[in-house]
Amino acid sequence: MKLFSSFIKELKLASRGFYFYVELFMAVIILAVFLLLVPDNFNNQRTEYIYFDMPRQTSELFLQEILQEDTDGKAAPVKVEVDKQEKDAMLYTTSDQKIYVLTSREDVIYMADKEKKIAAVVKLDSDNAINYEYYLQGYESDKFKNLLKILHVESNETIEAAMNNQDVKPLADNTLVLSDKENMMPSVLVFNGALMGLFIIAAYIFLDRKEGVIMAYAVTPSPVWQYLMSKVGVILVTTILSSFLVIIPVMGTQPDYLLLLLLLVTTAFFSSSLGLLIASFYKNVTQAFGAIYGFMLLMILPNIAYFIPSWNPDYLKLIPTYPMLEGFKSVLLGNNDWLYVLTISGGFLLVGAILFSISNRRYKKTLLG
Amino acid sequence: MIRKIWAIFRRDLKVNLKDSIALYILFIPIFLAVLINLFTPGINETTVDLALLEGDNPSQISYLEQFAEVELFKTIDQVQQRVEERDATIGIVPENGGYYLMTQGNEPEGIVDYAKILTSFYELDISMEETNSELFDFERTVPPLKKTLVNTMILLISILGGMLIALNIVEEKADNTLSAINLTPAGRLTFVLGKSVIGVLLSIIGTLSLIVITGFGTVNLLQLLLVLLVTSLLSISVGFIQGLTSSDIMTAAGSIKILFLPLLAGVLAIEMLGDKWQKFFYWNPFYWAYKGNDLILSQSGTWSQIFMYSSIVLLISGIVYLFLAPKIRKGLE
Repeated sequence: MKLFSSFIKELKLASRGFYFYVELFMAVIILAVFLLLVPDNFNNQRTEYIYFDMPRQTSELFLQEILQEDTDGKAAPVKVEVDKQEKDAMLYTTSDQKIYVLTSREDVIYMADKEKKIAAVVKLDSDNAINYEYYLQGYESDKFKNLLKILHVESNETIEAAMNNQDVKPLADNTLVLSDKENMMPSVLVFNGALMGLFIIAAYIFLDRKEGVIMAYAVTPSPVWQYLMSKVGVILVTTILSSFLVIIPVMGTQPDYLLLLLLLVTTAFFSSSLGLLIASFYKNVTQAFGAIYGFMLLMILPNIAYFIPSWNPDYLKLIPTYPMLEGFKSVLLGNNDWLYVLTISGGFLLVGAILFSISNRRYKKTLLG
Repeated sequence: MIRKIWAIFRRDLKVNLKDSIALYILFIPIFLAVLINLFTPGINETTVDLALLEGDNPSQISYLEQFAEVELFKTIDQVQQRVEERDATIGIVPENGGYYLMTQGNEPEGIVDYAKILTSFYELDISMEETNSELFDFERTVPPLKKTLVNTMILLISILGGMLIALNIVEEKADNTLSAINLTPAGRLTFVLGKSVIGVLLSIIGTLSLIVITGFGTVNLLQLLLVLLVTSLLSISVGFIQGLTSSDIMTAAGSIKILFLPLLAGVLAIEMLGDKWQKFFYWNPFYWAYKGNDLILSQSGTWSQIFMYSSIVLLISGIVYLFLAPKIRKGLE
């Protein structure tokens, strides 16, 4: 009961402060950006520049092949700026490529060198066999270069037939996939909730220390853990409010909101306990700032792996935000992966409780200092 | 006046060194630079991850290793467990004398196609010796992702400079030393300039250490300094306003969060959004600073381009300052 009244008092105090509204204002801005500016899916078309160094009749065969995949079945005459000059080109647009056919080898090399575009020359050798010249930047990986070397050894038809022959067996049917826009939401949730919780709770503690609130608290019958827990409670409320404010309009009914609530509570509890522990080692916010900032940067790193699915080194999985991102993704997909979400929520709750109890011990000794 | 500015700066430096804050802010860019150096080669090497059975078909394994990251497992169950992990790894599993691709079902289409094309090449017995492609390159060694990360970090460091100013001012207010400045011969302008020095200095030193460690030391430093100074101007204005209008650390902490928003928006707009969306971000000074830094880091920026981007950042920062100036003046009274 004392804890509850302490929490309500903290909440009232927080609602009078500027920070509470910054949190909600940020959520509204993020929501507006996602609803009005971010498209559902980003444009993933690759742009390529090609020159056919061969007689027109031979190049026509290639172009006919590309035309078959063109979205409107015809090439569009366009101008391409090459070395500050407008040059004629033909544009072929397929579902995943934009191919500009240029009129000279020099222009293709210019586009690769100066504009850093993907560029190639298709030519006939002395035996009238088709050869390819790729103009790369230099930083491409050896594995990618190896693939380019054998990409055109066989004809497109042969490769396509072999590819169609490959048997792909998914482990699960009807797997749900998030759109590009929805796929950014787990990052927003982790940044908005978990990461900022780390910083904000520390700021709360230092503010109270400076204003003598903690001194006043020492003469009340309430134990220190209730004081700390009421602070954590304020962070939880702001995290839940601001997260739901963004998620409900963007995601609609797709997410599993009960699991979302659970994961938000446990992750925010974990990060605010971590924030409490870090803050317990410092006297004021300026001193703690560096350590908190360092932790925040470390916690941001799994975002890189999240957006590059084929790059996932094991050491990144040890950073708590990795399971957070994956957990939020599962919840937003609404794929009923209860087991995973409950497991990581349990983990965050347990580790959060351990960090909280260590912080509690430290604050009992140092809060008045 | 210079002596007074110097005195204010020395005092800030002393306080910050005592609190180790300056040390942290200097350490953060170095820490970031080391992380960027550690991560980018791995990301750049990424093509597709495949999981195969150990010893099942050594020639297939060594063939695929030329084009993809290959992990080997003892049993099909272990391959399945690997595929079921939350990244995008594709299993190549033997069945009835052939092979099938084991996927989770939610991998991006491009990754599945990549695996399909590699297994097709192996079946067609296409070897590297048969190549009909010649590869030329321009001997560039810095991958674009590294440039993006370094550029974002440069902007982040300039915000750090602003944050340091804000925290210094809030601390002064808490210690009731801000009003005491009115009793000294230092004028308001001197105070503002003096307080700004540490933020600008930290952002310059931080950026320089970042670019040297990440291998961008050969860029045009004068161009970089120009963009850095105009960007710092914005961070300083915002740092001052945060410091002066925040009654406590809590409020300053909240305002700092707001500053991350335009930074992230600018970077994401340029890196992820198409041309038609760009005009919505023209108001954002970080957007232009990012563009300018990008040209500098690619060593392809002409002075006229850098002047243009810097002028836009300066203009927007100037407008922000004009709005904030009365508040800063009032805050100092």
